[in-house]
Amino acid sequence: MNPTDRRHPWSRLAAAARSAPDDRDPSAPFGFSTRVAALALSNNPPRSSFSMVFERLSWRALGVACVLMLASVAVSYPAIARTSDDEVTVRDPVAEVLELES
Amino acid sequence: MSDPTAFDLAGCLQRVRQRDQSAARELVDELYPLVIRIVRAHLPRQVAEEDLSQEIFMKMFTRLEQYQGAVPFSHWVSRIAVTTCIDHLRAQKRRPEFRWADLSEDEAGVLDAVLTNESDQTPDNALAARELVNKLLDQLNPSDRLVLQLLDLEQKTVAEIRALTGWNSSLIKVRAFRARRKLQKLFQELQRKEHS
Repeated sequence: MNPTDRRHPWSRLAAAARSAPDDRDPSAPFGFSTRVAALALSNNPPRSSFSMVFERLSWRALGVACVLMLASVAVSYPAIARTSDDEVTVRDPVAEVLELES
Repeated sequence: MSDPTAFDLAGCLQRVRQRDQSAARELVDELYPLVIRIVRAHLPRQVAEEDLSQEIFMKMFTRLEQYQGAVPFSHWVSRIAVTTCIDHLRAQKRRPEFRWADLSEDEAGVLDAVLTNESDQTPDNALAARELVNKLLDQLNPSDRLVLQLLDLEQKTVAEIRALTGWNSSLIKVRAFRARRKLQKLFQELQRKEHS
């Protein structure tokens, strides 16, 4: 099919459709640009390089803190375990006084 | 002498990147006629043009950091608009069947005129012709529809379509050929039904 063949139904129909007037308003409806601008700028604000560096360092600091915590627990574990094995007797001064009186 | 009312796109983009809301509003107002023209030409059924325009602008703002200035900004936005429209057209699972009975009186008259009249005359009812064209384009798959709309209705060149869609020239020509062949079959079918 030759698209420029004006005898073909599609070519004539397309030519007629092209001549249809379009009197719809091409300007933005009232409030459209305000709404879109507010929505667009409220979503995912771009971060500054400082905040990105700060975030990366913060994660690194958290990692280092976790490693240090685990290391300190590992180092002091024998001492903690020993303490929990020892019997701890709690002296109750009231009971002692009552025992003395009786 | 430069036009004092000319829109300073570069300055506006710079201010938008610095989160200036008034610049973002100016940019939307400036680009709205371009976007709405594309939306109206490729508007899928049951989608409000304002919703689709808003989606296109939101995509534009989200991807603004990716714009490097290799192509004019209006081309870049047009491409976002076209791809968004085509995504919506693809999302339409079913295409309505084309039937004489569903056409308005004017549309049926125009269809009858183009099917029976062999002379080189365009039907006078242009608005009905446009409605009819939209119904016929609905019968095509979204990519073929887009190519035919751009080529035959907006009279864009293959190079312009390539810039808008990112498809290569061969693909555009194949799609146009396929779309026209499908329309030709549809017209033949309609003529057969009319004669029987």
